[in-house]
Parts: sequence; C-alpha cells; structure tokens
Amino acid sequence: MNGVILEMKGVDMAFPGVKALDQVDFSLRAGEVHALLGENGAGKSTLIKCLTGVHRMDAGTILLEGKKIHPASPQEAQQLGISTVYQEINLCPNLTVAENIFIGRQPMKRGQIDWKTINQRSRELMARMGVDIDVTLPLTTYSIAVQQMVSIARAVDINARVLILDEPTSSLDEHEVQRLFEVMNDLKAQGLGIIFITHFLNQVFEIADRITVLRNGKLVGEYQVTDINKLELVTHMIGKDMNVIYDLKKAPQKQDAPVVLEARGIGIPGKVEDISLHVKEGELVGFAGLLGSGRTETAEMLFGVEKPQQGSIHMNGEKMEASSPLDAIRRKMAFCPEDRKRDGIVADLSIRENIALAVQALKGFMHPMKPQEQQELAERYIKLLSIQTPDAEKKVGELSGGNQQKVILARWMATQPDLLILDEPTRGIDVGAKAEIQRLMLEMCGQGMGIIFISSELDEIIRCANRIIVMRDLKKAAELDGENSQQADILAIIANEETEEAVK
Amino acid sequence: MKRGLKWETMLRSKLFWAVVAEILILLVGFIIRPDFLNIQLRTLSDGSRVLYGTPVDILNRAAEITIIAMGMTLVIALGGTDISVGALVAVSGAIALKFLRWDVLEYTTPGDYTVKPFFYALAVPLAVCTLMGLFNGSLIAKLKIQPIIATLILMVAGRGIAQIVTNGKQFTTQYSPFKFIGNGSVLGIPFPIIITLVVVLIMILFVRKTSYGMFVEAVGINPNASRVSGLRSGVIIMIAYIITGLLSGVSGLIYASRISSNDSNNAGLGYEMDAILAVVIGGTSMTGGKFTLVGTMVGSIIIRTITTLVLYFGIVSEAIMAFKALIIAGVIVLQSEPVRRAIARRRERRHMNMGGELHA
Repeated sequence: MNGVILEMKGVDMAFPGVKALDQVDFSLRAGEVHALLGENGAGKSTLIKCLTGVHRMDAGTILLEGKKIHPASPQEAQQLGISTVYQEINLCPNLTVAENIFIGRQPMKRGQIDWKTINQRSRELMARMGVDIDVTLPLTTYSIAVQQMVSIARAVDINARVLILDEPTSSLDEHEVQRLFEVMNDLKAQGLGIIFITHFLNQVFEIADRITVLRNGKLVGEYQVTDINKLELVTHMIGKDMNVIYDLKKAPQKQDAPVVLEARGIGIPGKVEDISLHVKEGELVGFAGLLGSGRTETAEMLFGVEKPQQGSIHMNGEKMEASSPLDAIRRKMAFCPEDRKRDGIVADLSIRENIALAVQALKGFMHPMKPQEQQELAERYIKLLSIQTPDAEKKVGELSGGNQQKVILARWMATQPDLLILDEPTRGIDVGAKAEIQRLMLEMCGQGMGIIFISSELDEIIRCANRIIVMRDLKKAAELDGENSQQADILAIIANEETEEAVK
Repeated sequence: MKRGLKWETMLRSKLFWAVVAEILILLVGFIIRPDFLNIQLRTLSDGSRVLYGTPVDILNRAAEITIIAMGMTLVIALGGTDISVGALVAVSGAIALKFLRWDVLEYTTPGDYTVKPFFYALAVPLAVCTLMGLFNGSLIAKLKIQPIIATLILMVAGRGIAQIVTNGKQFTTQYSPFKFIGNGSVLGIPFPIIITLVVVLIMILFVRKTSYGMFVEAVGINPNASRVSGLRSGVIIMIAYIITGLLSGVSGLIYASRISSNDSNNAGLGYEMDAILAVVIGGTSMTGGKFTLVGTMVGSIIIRTITTLVLYFGIVSEAIMAFKALIIAGVIVLQSEPVRRAIARRRERRHMNMGGELHA
C-alpha cells in the first residue's frame, strides 16, 4: 500500500450558532480513491472547503506529505497540489478547450502567448484521458462529460497530488460515468490521491478503495470498501436502519380506474417521435432510459413546455388545444422539471413565494392570495413534506437540494393536480430525502393522483412503478408491467435493439 | 441576539447605505451653508402660502425622475432597461402644448385660455405615451428584441415625433390649470410632490397588494422556472413597459407645465440615465430580481440632492457634470458589495462572542 499523502486531524469548524465540523479526522493515501460520504449537511463540503482554503478551520491540522500546510485560498491550495473539480463546471464556455486548460498560466514565447505549445499540450493531455477531440473548438461544442474531463485535465496538469471530485457524475450518463472511472483509475495508477464525493452509492462500490462517512459534522467511521455492504453504509450515513425507510409499498392499481392522461402519437420531428401513452388515476408510470433518450422531451411536450407538432394530448378525456405550461396547469397537470436550478426554483424568493407561485399563476396576479393564505399554504407543506427550515421566509436558494426539491413538489401539490410529472426528482439529493420523496409519490398515487416518474436509477423505478415505459433513441422502446420487471430486462431493452420485438 | 441580526441585515442592504449617503450629502450642504436645510412658509403675492427652502425644492424637482423611476424599477427588475423615457417626456409635453398652444401666427393674444378642452391636453399625451410603452413592450416580449435596442428606437424617434407634432415650433401657454401641475401647491406643498407621492403610493399598492410584484421578481430571477410554473412572462413584461411609458407621460406633463412650454430638444434630456441610476442606487440590481420602490425613491432624491447641491454652491457650469459624477461615484462605492460586506463583517466579528446566529 502506498503511503499517506494527506492527513487532516481533529478538524473543528464552527459557523456562528452551528458546529459544522467536530473533531473530524481524514486521511488519503497516494494512489487511492477515497469516497467521502454523508447526507446533505453532514459536513462533506465544509471539510473540503477547509482543505482548499475556502474556510479557515477553528482547530486541527492538515499534513500534506508530512508537512503542515495552512492554505488560505483555493489558489494557494492549488499551488500546494490540491485541485478541485466541482459539480458545476467551473470553466469558460466561450473559450476553447485548450484555452480553458491553460487560462491564467499560458506559456509565453517572446512576450506572446505560445499557442502552438498550448494546443499541442492540451491535445496530449486530453488524449491521455482517452478523449480525442479538437482542442481549438469552444468548450460548449462538447458534452458535459467532455467538459468534465477538461476540468480534470486542467486540475491534474497543475501538478496535482490530491484531486477532489465533488459530485462529478451527477450530470453524466452511464457511458460517460464509465469513461470518467477509467480516467480516475489512470490517475490512481499515476499515484494521485483522489477524494470522491457522490450521492450514488453504486459508484462508490465500483470505484472507491476506502470510504469515510460523516454525519452531522462528526466522523462516523472509515471503512475499506471490501469490508462493508450498501445497507450498512446507508445505515451509517443516516444513523437509521435503511430497511425502515425503504419499506415502501406500491399503490395498488385498479384495472378499471379512469384514464387521466392520454397521448396519441405526439412528437416533434428530429426530437422525439410518435409517443403514445396513457396514465390512469392512481397509477405510477415509470419512464426509464438513458439521458437523452427522449424522456425529458416527452415530459416537456406533455406539459406544453415544447409544443408537439404531431399527435394529440387528452387530459381527463378532453383534448388539449393550445399548449403552454399555463394551459397544462389549468387542466390539472403539474411538472417538476429535471434541472431544478434552471427550471424549478426561483432562488431569491422565499419558500412561501416559491410554494405559492403556481397557484397564484393559476389565479392571475389581479386575484392575489392574502398574505396569511400564502403563509398557511407554505406552513402546511413545510410540515407535510418536513422541509427543514427555520421559517417560510428563508430564501429557497439557501436550502439543500433535497429541500429545494420538496419546495417544488409543494408548489405543485398546492395546485392539487390530477397528473404529476416528475423528471428526475431524486437526482443529487441524499438517501434520506430520496426515500422521503419516493414515499410521498406513492402516497399521492394512493390518493388517486396519476404520476409519471422519470429516473435514471432503475431500482428506483422498479420499486415504485406500476407500469414502466422504456425510452431509447428518442422513441418509445417498450412498455412493461411494473410488478414483474427485473432490472436486467430493462437494461437489455435500453442496451440492445434486437430484444425490442421479443419484449413487446 | 435578535437585535444584532437585524443590524446585520440592515448593514448589508443597499437601501440603508443609500439613506446614509443622502444624510451625508445633506450634512455637507449644511456644514458649508447652515441655511441649506432651512424650510419656511412664505406667503405669495396672491395670498397663498407655500413651503419654501432647499429640502422642499429637492423633493419638488425630484418629481420627474422619481415618477419615471417607479416604472423603470419594474423594467430593471425584469432584467430589462428602457432608454426611451427621456424622449417620451418630450413627446408628452409637445402633445400637451399642441392642445394649449399660443403662438404668434395663429393665436395672437397670450392669455389664460386653451384652444381645445383641457382634458385633451392631459389625456392624449398620456394615451400616446402608454401606446409607446406598449410598442416597447411588444418588441421586447413578443419579438424578443434586447430591451436596450428595442427602446433605442423610440429614444431616437421620440424627439422627432415631438418635433413633427408641433411642426418644430415651441409653443407657450399661460393656461393656469395647466401651469398648476408643475407650479401650484396644495396646503403649502408643491403640487409635483403630491403627484409623486400619489404615484409612488399607487405603484406600491399595485405591486404589493396584487401578485404583480412577486411575478416580476420571479420572472426577473428565473424566467425558465417562472414559465414552467405557469407565469405568462410576456404579459408581465409588457405591463412593466406600458407603466413606464405612462409614467414618462406624467413626468412630461409636469416638465412642460414647469416651463409653460414644449421643448422637444431639451425636455427629459438624460432622464433615462438618471432614472436607471435612481433604481440602482435604491438597491435594485441591474441583473434583475428583487426590487424596492421605496429604495428607488431614495435613489432619485439622492440624485436630485446632488444636482441641487452643485447648483447651490455656484460651481462653474462646465464642472457641474464632473462634480455630480464624483459624488455619485462616492455613493456607489459606499454601496458596493465588498464595502458593505467589510463593514457588516466587522460588526459580525464583534458579535461573534455573543453567539449571534448566522447562516454560513
């Protein structure tokens, strides 16, 4: 085993009123991937921020290769060899790949920027990651996965010894994740220490060597991946037995329940084509498929975000004529979009305002809800969904991901819809909140709401759905019974064209 | 602890520093000329009594910008801007004078009369300015043209339209009901101040008693999320530009009444910049989002105070703009994020030991 490259001992960190870290120890060996796990608010980010000089520790020491360090800023940490790649890509989209890799440290030649070297070395770096691209094109030309590789290339090239990957996989699809893992394995072999933060436990077991679990700012323990199973791990993370939370029961489906939503052959040429589906009252229909397989596009057409150019949509038996989100809401439809930050929350508004938004949009601004009405509405849902906040006036942008998701859910529950479309409602939120959202979903189904549930995590879909629609290549590939489907069946459909007919 | 927290938020708010800046500027005026802040009740020749003094004058003269800036606040909160307001002021005045006109060729006797029912002189300019606001709003909301480009059209064309309306002539009027708008007073308070207060009050009631204000903020902060939540952002944006157009018209009437004339070249000149500045000094961000109408009013008063101060001390006219810019730069530095944060943090540190609660 390689030696310890980084050691943090007895780290204390307090924000006024909150103890964020309490005597936390953490150590990283050269050539290992060390997963840092915990629920939102457990202290993972704070620990990383202490390490990268964003926060000052109140107590504790950091040893990098045996030497005490006190990074005061991310730049200083980087000079010491600690690089971070964040969940959101921190690059300049309008610059080229090569420029992004070398920005701020361009090699010079006779007082001018040496473009030849920049492009040459960028190409080498990217090739070493197994990415063969034209580095002189703007960053936005490439997928998020490639952009992520570019940030890693940049981080590694700045002489990194410790690489911190903060939720690097949350916007990648399965293939892209695999490629990232290959890169991580390469870097590992080169003797880098990698700190890996993620919500995806499967990935932890796939790539990590050791795991450190934090809970409420305290160290729970450090484990070898081989010595622990998923159930134990989750139990450590949430401090409760996972079986208790995961004791979910699907809503029983009535065969003769009326159809709430029916789509007949809807599509937009070049985007998604010929999608037909229906959702019954009290039924949960799961949408499986890879990122980009047309799941989100279908949902957006149903809700009128994108107007379908073919086919028709019928809600409660009536054909929907105009299509805009407002029309869909009037027909008692609701939609939690995939990109929570971009299409969901209004970050600077309070929880109260965010929850009241859709109901108020339905009423029109000349018929405002009374302040106490809004207040009651917000408080009811804060309690019902156990949104963790001191009061309804807190800005939504200041909440954790899981709580933001609950606020959006509350916004739609408040409109009392007949059909709710949830696009990746559990992405990027912690295990506890995830289970809670699944439970809520099933409860709403039990009360007669029809739900379309889109998720990349198959086990989640299988656990909840009465019926499963599998999307592939912008088309509906298959429709399965939710009760008897196995993960393997679905994967086969997603992966393989030939099985299509057989399953149908 | 609770008190400490309140101080905290106050020290971090732009509005607070705007008020501080205003007080500082007034203080400077007072130190140099102690009669700067004097207010007295004077009796005019016709027996009416009116408040008199620099502070009253500041509020009076701030009317035009304050009124326009109320609309501009909504426009900016939506992430837009409207640079046509100054030209609309000229249009409004020109149309009003068209109906009140006295000029040498046709109406040879100057006097207290109007050539068309007085109602026209008020309603038509306001209607035209409202339509011009609708024009701006349509370009922006329906055709998705960038606000600065869309409103540039009327900024350029507006003064031309004003010229056409009056055949390039300058009319004057002595019609006393019209002159009252800019020069009259009620219970000693200059009438423009009263108009301003009424407009500000109506606007505050409109944005906070209906959900319009919340919708404006939602669209300004996150247009995508607002659309998915069922807001019709197009309508919301149109309304903001329509209001701004209408209020520019009101402001134009006040201006025309003050000078009893139309002046297509100089009426409302530079108002767009003053109005935008008033909004920003008041604490509404140019990037859109949360807004404060009270803040805008303070911002507008600050700008007028600076102008008055500069005029009051008889600084050579060439240097006025430079001097004004200097003070505004000072106000903006005082309000800037790093300065506010630094001051707030110094307090925070002092409060730490007492365990003041703060989020990270």
